[in-house]
Amino acid sequence: MNNKLLSSIGVVALAIAAFYFATAGKDYQALKKQLKVSYILHNPDKPLPEFSLLDHNRQLFDNTHLKEGWSLLLFMYTHCPDICPTELFDMSRLKNLMEEDKTASMPSVVVITFDSLRDTPEVMKEYITHFDKDFIGVSGDQAQIDRLIKPFGAYYERVIYDEKGKPVILKASDELPKDALEKGYIINHTAWIYLINPEGEIFAGFPSPHKPSAMVQDIKLMMDY
Amino acid sequence: MFNKAKKLVLAAITLITLNSAIAIEHHRTNQTIAEKIVINNPWVRSAPPNTPMLGAFMEIHNNSNQTVKLLSADSKGYRRLELHKTQYEDGMMKMIKQDFMPIPAHGKLTLKPGSWHIMLIAPESVPREGGTVMIDLVFDNGLSKTVHAPVRKMKKIMGNRHYMTH
Repeated sequence: MNNKLLSSIGVVALAIAAFYFATAGKDYQALKKQLKVSYILHNPDKPLPEFSLLDHNRQLFDNTHLKEGWSLLLFMYTHCPDICPTELFDMSRLKNLMEEDKTASMPSVVVITFDSLRDTPEVMKEYITHFDKDFIGVSGDQAQIDRLIKPFGAYYERVIYDEKGKPVILKASDELPKDALEKGYIINHTAWIYLINPEGEIFAGFPSPHKPSAMVQDIKLMMDY
Repeated sequence: MFNKAKKLVLAAITLITLNSAIAIEHHRTNQTIAEKIVINNPWVRSAPPNTPMLGAFMEIHNNSNQTVKLLSADSKGYRRLELHKTQYEDGMMKMIKQDFMPIPAHGKLTLKPGSWHIMLIAPESVPREGGTVMIDLVFDNGLSKTVHAPVRKMKKIMGNRHYMTH
């Protein structure tokens, strides 16, 4: 009788322990409570699509480049007068803070353009490395960029002005008019910064506005988890 | 004869005095109008050498009893300048072109990153950090101002969410 009771308790305890171990690592409850400025987005069932783009030295940049360690990734465009330079400035501030903190190790910074038509690898190189020589600018096939941004929940629209000066919104899939390059266009876009784990999966996201000092703490917590 | 000359001199003196008085008054009036709009801390954010766009920021104070509108901005060496506001809408950061910027009566409008800003489009040559950009501002009621905006980086310490508000 006693043996039966003991073994039942044992089975229940094992089941609880098994359940705990199976789920504890995945839902990040303990970690989530400690995060101040980021959201866990990790879903290993939804890996990034295969992509093949160009870094700012015209070298191949694909999924394997996001599997060399932790990365911080953001999407921007160089004709952006306000938000994108602020984001890049924040990233350079973040890197300085991480380097000052001896217990931290800075992820690599990958900056992908929303606007490969104007942001060639050469344009990206001059623009991105102005903020930090180690930042990696990425451009390439626009269709691949459009596919890549989807699992991030990132999106954009382009704005041109008609003859009367009225704004006309063009979705990513809409074709730009022929004179758009000459007349210029701006891009409305999401402005999150993402943390990519060494498996090349989206791990977390930081909505804007960004506060580098708070980001340092969250990034350290997530990398050490 | 003497009387005529006396009268002429008197008339001349009166004219000169009147003229100076009007000139002084005119000068004063101009000064009063000019002081109704005061611009503090203008700056242009330093940017990469190939940047196609720059942002200019400042505080515009309106000491008058009426709302004053900033109608346009101009600067030599740029294709054009536009008035813009960054807004958070539908999950996106949007650059909304503005017809004017309203500066409330006895109040101020702060142009800052992530909010109201002047967009300097297609620079002939990108101004370097430490340089100055001269910007002409035209307000309604015919007011105009020229500001000398130093080119500098964003401030590192952004106390009280200085540039965080959208």
